[in-house]
Amino acid sequence: MAITRRILLATTTLALSSHIAASADTVVKWLHIEANPAQVKIWEEVARDFEAKNPGVKIEMSFLENEAYKAKAPTLLQSKERPHIIYSWAGGVLKSQVEAGVLEDITAAVGDYKDNLSPGAVAAFNVDGRLYGLPHTVSQVGFMYNKALFAKAGVDGSKIASWDDLLDAVRKLKGASVTPIAVGGADKWPLHFYWTHLAVRIGGKPGFQAALKGENGGFESPVFQRSGELFKQLVDLQPFQTGFLGFKNPDAVGYFGDGKAAMVLAISSFYVTQRTLSASKAGVGDDNIGWFNFPIVSGGKGDPSDTLGGINGWLVTKGAPKEAVGFIKHFISADVQKRLAAGNYIIPTYKGAESGLGSEFMRNIAHNIAASKYHQNFYDQDLGPNVGRVVNDATAEIAGGTMTPMQAAKAIQDAFRQGN
Amino acid sequence: MSKARLDGTVAFKALFLCAAVLFVATPLLATVLGGFKSLGELRTNPFGLPHSWEWHNYADILFSSRYWTLLGNSLAIALLTVALTLITGSMAAFVFAHLRFFGSEMLFAYITAGLLFPAATAILPLFIKVRDLGLLDSYFGIVLPQVAFGLAMSILLLRRFFRDLPPELLEAAVVDGCSYIGFFGHITLPLSRPILATVGTIVFVQSWNAYLVPLVMLNSDRLYPWPLGIMVYQGEFSSEWNLILAFITLTILPTVVLFLFAQKHIVAGLTAGAVKG
Amino acid sequence: MRFAVRRRDSSKWAAILLFLPPALLLFSIFVVLPAGEAGWYSAFNWNGFGRPTRWIGLDNYRFVLDNRAFGVAIGNNLKVIAVSLLVQLPLAMTLAIILAERFRGAVALRMLFFLPYILAEIATGLMFSFIYDGNYGLLATIYGWFGAEAPHLLASPATAMPAILVVIVWKYFGFHMMLFIAALQGLDRGVIEAARIDGATGWQLQRHVVIPLLSPTIRLSVFFSVVGSLQLFDLIMPLTRGGPADSSHTIVSFLYTFGVTRMRVGFGSAVGVILFLICVTFAFTYKRWFMRDE
Repeated sequence: MAITRRILLATTTLALSSHIAASADTVVKWLHIEANPAQVKIWEEVARDFEAKNPGVKIEMSFLENEAYKAKAPTLLQSKERPHIIYSWAGGVLKSQVEAGVLEDITAAVGDYKDNLSPGAVAAFNVDGRLYGLPHTVSQVGFMYNKALFAKAGVDGSKIASWDDLLDAVRKLKGASVTPIAVGGADKWPLHFYWTHLAVRIGGKPGFQAALKGENGGFESPVFQRSGELFKQLVDLQPFQTGFLGFKNPDAVGYFGDGKAAMVLAISSFYVTQRTLSASKAGVGDDNIGWFNFPIVSGGKGDPSDTLGGINGWLVTKGAPKEAVGFIKHFISADVQKRLAAGNYIIPTYKGAESGLGSEFMRNIAHNIAASKYHQNFYDQDLGPNVGRVVNDATAEIAGGTMTPMQAAKAIQDAFRQGN
Repeated sequence: MSKARLDGTVAFKALFLCAAVLFVATPLLATVLGGFKSLGELRTNPFGLPHSWEWHNYADILFSSRYWTLLGNSLAIALLTVALTLITGSMAAFVFAHLRFFGSEMLFAYITAGLLFPAATAILPLFIKVRDLGLLDSYFGIVLPQVAFGLAMSILLLRRFFRDLPPELLEAAVVDGCSYIGFFGHITLPLSRPILATVGTIVFVQSWNAYLVPLVMLNSDRLYPWPLGIMVYQGEFSSEWNLILAFITLTILPTVVLFLFAQKHIVAGLTAGAVKG
Repeated sequence: MRFAVRRRDSSKWAAILLFLPPALLLFSIFVVLPAGEAGWYSAFNWNGFGRPTRWIGLDNYRFVLDNRAFGVAIGNNLKVIAVSLLVQLPLAMTLAIILAERFRGAVALRMLFFLPYILAEIATGLMFSFIYDGNYGLLATIYGWFGAEAPHLLASPATAMPAILVVIVWKYFGFHMMLFIAALQGLDRGVIEAARIDGATGWQLQRHVVIPLLSPTIRLSVFFSVVGSLQLFDLIMPLTRGGPADSSHTIVSFLYTFGVTRMRVGFGSAVGVILFLICVTFAFTYKRWFMRDE
């Protein structure tokens, strides 16, 4: 019995590595979307480190810009030349990739290793009980602000708690000739944060789940209409920088980093990127940068501790060499996670690594996420490749004034009915 | 005609030409010169001559393997496309020009129907087809669709030229016992160099500049032709315009050089090809 | 003799059987079949993986026609045609008339004006995104003189499409100019001389003699403007990708953004079929109504 098992094991390993045996080196192709050179440099070192520990394995890194990657992914995944490790935001997009059969089930290969990571984040990469990837970071969406510019307009960021407080702050900032908010409207998704976070505040978890079941008109329900209307209130104050619909996200974050706008509705990781993307590379300094959670809406059913944010990780594509999983594990090991946390690049998923976060700012974010009972993933990923994109389209149209909140809600619900 | 009025017309023409030259040349010059500037200078002085010439912007690109890989891919794809188009196109055009058989007219109409619609109309099924043939991420995944969509125009132009060759040649050759295939190889092709050059140039320029088909069929930057590569480059250096402008200059340079050397064929080809398009 | 005929016959069939299949096969596999399949796929809701199974009849066409951005895209294609006819064509013709005459530098100017046409759309688009950039470009400089902040032309739904139209004129007028120059050089000089002797001068001569003689070329130029507009894609991507807020899509960039990048094969195929019908209908009616004499 033991012998048969051993033979079976040997043949499976042989089968797995058959096409590798032909060449001396196993090449693991890793496609990432990280544009921050400082972080990429660390990643390269991690890759070289893995190569040193695993002779005969080569990690080949390639880069696609965020938007280009999202546009390319559907065709990319159908190619034989697809990379072995790809970036993912989990959610409905992941689910459709699983259904398409282009991902590798790595449940067995990961084994108990997943127990080292935050269970909530790991669960996001679980589809129907099978694991297809591992998370390396989580993030929170909230307002990052420039204390000096706030002071100039006589606004106290720590006092902004409700949506009306936010609108007031915008008015005061405008009164003081400060651009209130920077946003990368060309990429659309930075705008969809407003609409979705409002929905998180107004409807809470039950509101979102009702919409998924198609109750109360789905995404045309009062929850989402109200989200659109409140967003429109903000848009009508013209809070964004001139030409915001033409700014890609990196441009807008750099604009905030340059001190040209008082706020940005940010993913927590912008804390670092606003520096690298600013002209001076210094960005808004630690003494000058503030954060407040997305304001609550009076009468909203959401809990103030609910968060909107990302759960980001790495997927292994079908036919990838088994070393790909090994590399992901290495990439999400305690050492690497601590190192990235110390540089404030990520909110780590490895249990305990968050204690090494290099700044008070990021520790606060980690605390918020840990305290959240409902962490809503970005809609544009969570709702799947088609519906998610329509959310982006529709919210950008509200911001551009070409759709009313009603029309936007209808467009999203129509798309939802069509499915992905 | 009074002298004054004549001068008026001349002055108007001169002014009009100057305005047109300014309109056309400004973006081109700004691009080439912008590549020589530092980012700071580009902000303050986007259109003038650089105060200090930053040669390294260009040198860095020229000494990077990235630039040469892109150009190499574009060249390989374009040359393969030209070769296949000329071979298959001239053979078919020869049949349509000289040989009549049952259904020949219909087949000719069938192929020229390709002129009616662009590749974009069928880009998704084309993607599925190329995927099912296992040609995604290969030169041929781009070359074959490009050849297929270029055939209609190429065959039309070639056939017209073949027909205009003196018919006595064919008669004489056939009497001498030369086969049609032999005639094609020994007489038609050597006499058709001008049209082959013209068609070849059009197909080359179109392939060299093509974006949509490579964009959909290629995923590996190892194989990217330059229009895809430059878009990636722009995504990477998003606001470092001086580098992007230098990169643009260096990628359009081959086109401009080719244009200067083969302008006769290019102008004739693109306008003539168009005329019967 | 009989033998000779037979030999000739076999040589003929050898040529046909050897020479036709490669082109026919390529054309059928990569042009005709996909065009037909677009019709078939357009009846499915399909993400491109596996085989299409979710039959939804004509729903995709409804979704396309219901989509606001598609209507905008059609409108933009019409704008491109309008600008081609109202701005580009007169510009091209005027320059052709000036440059058809022989004078020092005429040939060099022709080449300069033709140059944008052979540059890749991608490179052209990137060049102009610099020109239009609110922080660095031409407008930034001009506004800078007055100490004002320049508008980001490509960032506003109101100005993005007009800005693209300028690029289109820049890129394509040289081609149309060359068409007119070729036609002018082929004109019967005798007719023009006769008119001149009859006392026609300057603009009169152009208006009543030359332009009517150019009418076949004008019709041709219009034809290419329309066909070019229907294919417009490469230029849109580097400039705006169809944005802001989907205000500058053309039919093809709409197809790419909503069909290809989202792998909605059925939806995208429906857009393709609509575009196909527009192209074919246009080509037939135009050739029939306006280009009968060619």
